[in-house]
Order: sequence, then structure tokens, then C-alpha cells
Amino acid sequence: MRPMWKTLRHQGAWLVAWAVLAALGGVALARQELARQREAFETDARIAHRLLSQRAVQQDAVLATLALLQPAGTAGPTAQPEQRLSSVYPQILEVQRRGPGEAWPVDIPAAQAALADAEAVSRQARRVALAVSHLATGRYRLVLAAEPHSYALQIDVATMLPWNEWPMPRDTSPVRLTLEQDGQVFVVQPGRIQEGGWRFEFHKHLATDSQPFDVFALRQVGWGELPWAWMLAWALGMAVLLAALQTALTQRAARRRAEELLRLGQVARLNTLGELAAGMAHELNQPLTAVLANTQAARRLLDEDPPELDTARHAMAQAAEQARRASTVVGRLRRAVERPDLAGKLSPVKLQDAVREALYLLEPENTRRSVAPTVQAPAQDVVVLADRVALEQIVHNLVMNALQALEQVPAGQRRLTLTIATDARLGTLAVQDNGPGIPPDALPRIFEPFFSTRPGGLGLGLNLCESLASNMGGSLVASNVTPHGAALRLSLPLSA
Amino acid sequence: MNTTLSPLIHLIDDDAAVRDSLALLIGTVGLRVQTWADPQAFLAQFDRQGIGAIVLDVRMPGISGLAVLDTLVAQGVDQPVIMLTGHGTVEMCRRAFKAGAAEFLEKPVDDEALIEALQNAVRQHVRSRERHQADRQARERYAQLSEREREVLGLIVSGLTNKEIGRALAVSPRTVETHRANLFAKLEAESLAQLIRSYATLADAAP
Repeated sequence: MRPMWKTLRHQGAWLVAWAVLAALGGVALARQELARQREAFETDARIAHRLLSQRAVQQDAVLATLALLQPAGTAGPTAQPEQRLSSVYPQILEVQRRGPGEAWPVDIPAAQAALADAEAVSRQARRVALAVSHLATGRYRLVLAAEPHSYALQIDVATMLPWNEWPMPRDTSPVRLTLEQDGQVFVVQPGRIQEGGWRFEFHKHLATDSQPFDVFALRQVGWGELPWAWMLAWALGMAVLLAALQTALTQRAARRRAEELLRLGQVARLNTLGELAAGMAHELNQPLTAVLANTQAARRLLDEDPPELDTARHAMAQAAEQARRASTVVGRLRRAVERPDLAGKLSPVKLQDAVREALYLLEPENTRRSVAPTVQAPAQDVVVLADRVALEQIVHNLVMNALQALEQVPAGQRRLTLTIATDARLGTLAVQDNGPGIPPDALPRIFEPFFSTRPGGLGLGLNLCESLASNMGGSLVASNVTPHGAALRLSLPLSA
Repeated sequence: MNTTLSPLIHLIDDDAAVRDSLALLIGTVGLRVQTWADPQAFLAQFDRQGIGAIVLDVRMPGISGLAVLDTLVAQGVDQPVIMLTGHGTVEMCRRAFKAGAAEFLEKPVDDEALIEALQNAVRQHVRSRERHQADRQARERYAQLSEREREVLGLIVSGLTNKEIGRALAVSPRTVETHRANLFAKLEAESLAQLIRSYATLADAAP
């Protein structure tokens, strides 16, 4: 129950981490998209405002030009050039001119009065004035008072719009754009306005006093316009990344555990050895104590005057008896260390697998010493009869030994080669380094217990390997190679 | 030699061959040896009053020699203990001495070392018994003194003269003289020096 709960909690932590990362990334992406949309909207709205202002100013300029030119004295096509303006400026529906003492030539009396009022405003302000504004229907009139003739224009807003330069697709753009004046609204572009989401607004007067209209742009960004695909991609990406990370961590933990187990196995073996040694010491010390005490007592008894011969004789017999006892202890010990238990656990093991496993566990050690081991193996599997743990322990110890020997070689020149080979009967693994090699006088003693060429070495590593190998019916042989270095060759019987 | 007074060595080891050979060796210098195979039996039965020493093997089945040593010390046994061990570590040696062992020897033990250790231990035990004996006697005699005599003894030990003591206790020097004679008789002291040597600590400890 408990490990499961722990696993769940462990998984939960990863899930929470993923959710937080996905949410943060999603929000950032959404904000970025919204900022981009706002910027695009504002640019479009500014451009639209500038274009509309240009048109409005253009109308002022037309009026000013007409007022400046005044009607020419001669009749003909040039007498009333204003009547041809509509062909150049399609938004100008009509041009009216009022001479001195005349009334404005329009039929509607209200319009006439409005034009007269606006002319008065224009005269006073010395600029173009707005006369009649029906912005809702898209029509308005402009007046410029001048001498001798004043001029008025009727403008059609719909025609005035500069669609050819328009920054947005007129029919499909989501931006709603209107011209407004005192509650009258002319829809330039309907846009798409829905409920919810984010609202961007843009307000600005047209850049001329004569046409006091507001340009009002509105953009409603809906939830559906958020970059969901990117957000999803981000969330997925994070999931993949975290999964990879978790896997890597799990693998690392597994490797640590395996290393730990191997090390523990080694320590356990050494502990067994230590206990064996302690037991041996006690078992031998008892008879030795008796031998020593008996012989010394006998000497003292013989030194007495007269010598106590009978007791001394008895003491000597006891001493001999105890010496025999000591020798049986040694014999028993020898039989105990032969490890008859290992022979029963042998099973077919792929030599390649054992080497791969040991090298995997030693990867950090190799990296730390900048050693890249080379493995030479035949294409087919070499399956030997061995105890898997013992075999891996041997490989582990041999590689560790080689690595320690390689510490005396400059980092760039370290070579470690593991060669797997086979003949009719045996599978062999040779671990070869280009370290200093084994001193010739040490070579015959290299597998003796408590013999080490390394200062501080316990002298049990190779001894353990050798006894493990021989207990599996195999052998371990050490030799030196030219120009320098050591090779340890492990041979194990092939699995039938 | 009176056998009841000659020192007795208790030898505790579970190994019969070791036990017998060591007993034989110890016997060659005239020391009596009592051997014990079982530490529990030894703890239950041995004579705590006798003069002698204890030789104890560290490694025994059932109870370790160090545990036996702890029990002996806890029970106030005053016989010196010599520890024998097959493989003495520094730590074990330290523990043994801290627990009160008189000596720590490694097996196989050399005869001279063992015998010298035993003789030292016995000598030490005899001395300490004598000291205890004297102490007990002094305590018993001191207990016979009257209240006033103890006061006078305290002042004598402090180095006051009869006159000064009389002044301090508001009695006449003659009365002091009587008390003084009485306490010399009760404490069986032959001189002022001996009186002070034997009873200074008791007099100081008295209220």
C-alpha cells in the first residue's frame, strides 16, 4: 500500500509540475498573441484614421481652390470647372456656388438656411465649416465663405473611403470601424464583434476642424482566437520533456542502486572473509594457547629439583594433542573456503551481457578517469556457464583494477580493451590496459590473498576474482603485454 | 603454608585444554588455581572473601568476558581481574581497562607475562585488603567515641593545644585532658602522629 501511495504522490508531483509549466507557457503564449493582435489593431486603426483624415483635408483643399479661382469671366468649358469635379473626386456629389446677393441654389429650404448659417460661421472663422450633416446616411455638406462667390460641397461618405489603400480586408476584417458625430454613426466596416474575450478600442478625431467626426475602431478578440494549437504543442512538448527527465532520473537512480548492490555484495564477501579470519584466529588461538602453556609448564616442571617428570610428561602429551587440534582447524578452514555453494547456481550467461552490464555500472568511473573502454566481441553470443552475479563481480573488479592502473598514464593515452573470444570449449574475456603492468616479481603472487602491489590495497580483489572463477570451473590468468600494460584473461566453460 | 590463607586464582575459560594447561602453568609457581568452565557458575559460586585474582577469557559462549567483568565490578568484587583474549583490539583493550581490568593479555600468553601479572595482582589485592581492614577497624573504634570526644578529636586533628581546645569548647584544660586520654585509649592510638594518620579523614568527615 505504502509504496503505491508513494508512487502516486511521486507521479502527482510530476503531474503538478507539468500542469504549472503548461499553464505558465499557455498564459505567456496567449499574452503574446493578444499583444500582437493589439499592436496589429492599433496600426490598422491609425492607418485608417490617417487615410480618412487625408480625404477630409482633401475636401477642404478642393473648397479652398474653388474659392481662390472664382468663376472665370468667359463662358465655356472653363467657366464652371467645379461642375466637372465629381468625375475626379467621386465623393463630391454636388458643388454649389452662391454669388453676391444670391441665395444658395438648393431646393430644400432647411438646407438653404443651414448653408447660410454655415457660411456665416465660415466667414467668421475663415475656414471650411460643416453645414448639413446626415452622417448616419453618409451625406454632409461643407461650406467655405469667399468673395465674391462662396462654395459648398455635398460629400458622400461611402465613396470617400479610400478602399484601395485600406489596411484591412473590408468584408472579412474582425475590426469594426465607424465614424461618429453627436450620436450619428456611419459604419465604415462592420467587423465581427462577439461576446466575451478581450476588447481593444481606438478613438481619434479626424485631423481637420471642418469635419468634426470621430474615428472609432473596435476589436473584440474571442477565446477562439487564442493560439490554442501552440499552447497545446507547448503542453505536449513539456509533457515529453518531463517524461524524458523522469525517465533519465529513474534510470540514474536504478544505476545507483545497481552499483550500490554490487558494492554491497563485495563488502558482504569481504565481511564474510573478515569473519572467517576472526573465527580462524580464535579457533587457532585456543590450541596454540594450550600448546604454549603446556610446554612452558613442562619446562618449569623439568627445571624443578627434583624434576616433576610425570606431570611434565603429561603436559607434553597435552601440547602434542593441542597441536593436532590446531591442524584440524586449518584443514576445516580450507574446506570451508572452497565455497561448494557456488557450483550449484551456475546457469548460461551471455558474456557480452555481463560485460555490457559491468561497463554500464562503471560508466561514471570511466568518465571520471577519461577512459573510453573498447569492446571487441564476435558477432555471435558467447554463452558461458556461470553464476551471473559472480561473473559481473569479476568483470567489475577486473575493470576497476585496470582503471586504477591507468591512473598512472596521462589522460589522453589511456587504453582499456575488453576482448571476448571463444574456442570449442571455453569462452574467454581479456581485460587489457596500457598501464605500467604488473612487476615481474609480483606476477606469480598476484592472486595470493592479502598480496597487493597497490599501497593501501587490501589484496583481496584479484584473489576473490580468482577463487570465484575457479569455483565456477573456470580460471583467471594474469600476464603483461608489450610495450607496457597488464592483461587478465578469464576463461569459463561454454554452456552446452 | 596455611592453605586457607594462600591466594587462590580463579581461571574462567570455556576451553578445557586452555583451562588445564594454564592451571598447570600457574600451579608451577605455587599458586592455587580453581578452574571454571561456565562463567555463570563462577559468578554464582566463587568465594568473594578469599585473597587472589581472576583470569577471565574475553570470548566465551553465553556471556562475554567483558560482561562478566562488568558484573564483578558492579557487585563490588575486589579481586583484580586479568583479561585474556584471542585477538585484542585497541578498542576492546580500552573498554576492559575502563571497566576495571587490572591487566589485559593476548593469547597465546607467555608464561612470564602471565605469572608476573598474577603475582602483581595478588600483591595488590593483599595490600588493598589490609588497607580495608585498617579502615574498617578505625571506623569501628571511631564509632565508640562520645559526641564530645569526637569534637575534641576534630580540634586535635586541626592542630589545637589543650588550652585552645578548652577555650573553644568552654571547658577547663583539665577536662580536655580527660577526654584526650579517653579517646587515645578507645582508638588504641600510641602516638599523636598515628592518631592523626588513622583518623584525620574520619574526623574531617564528621559533622
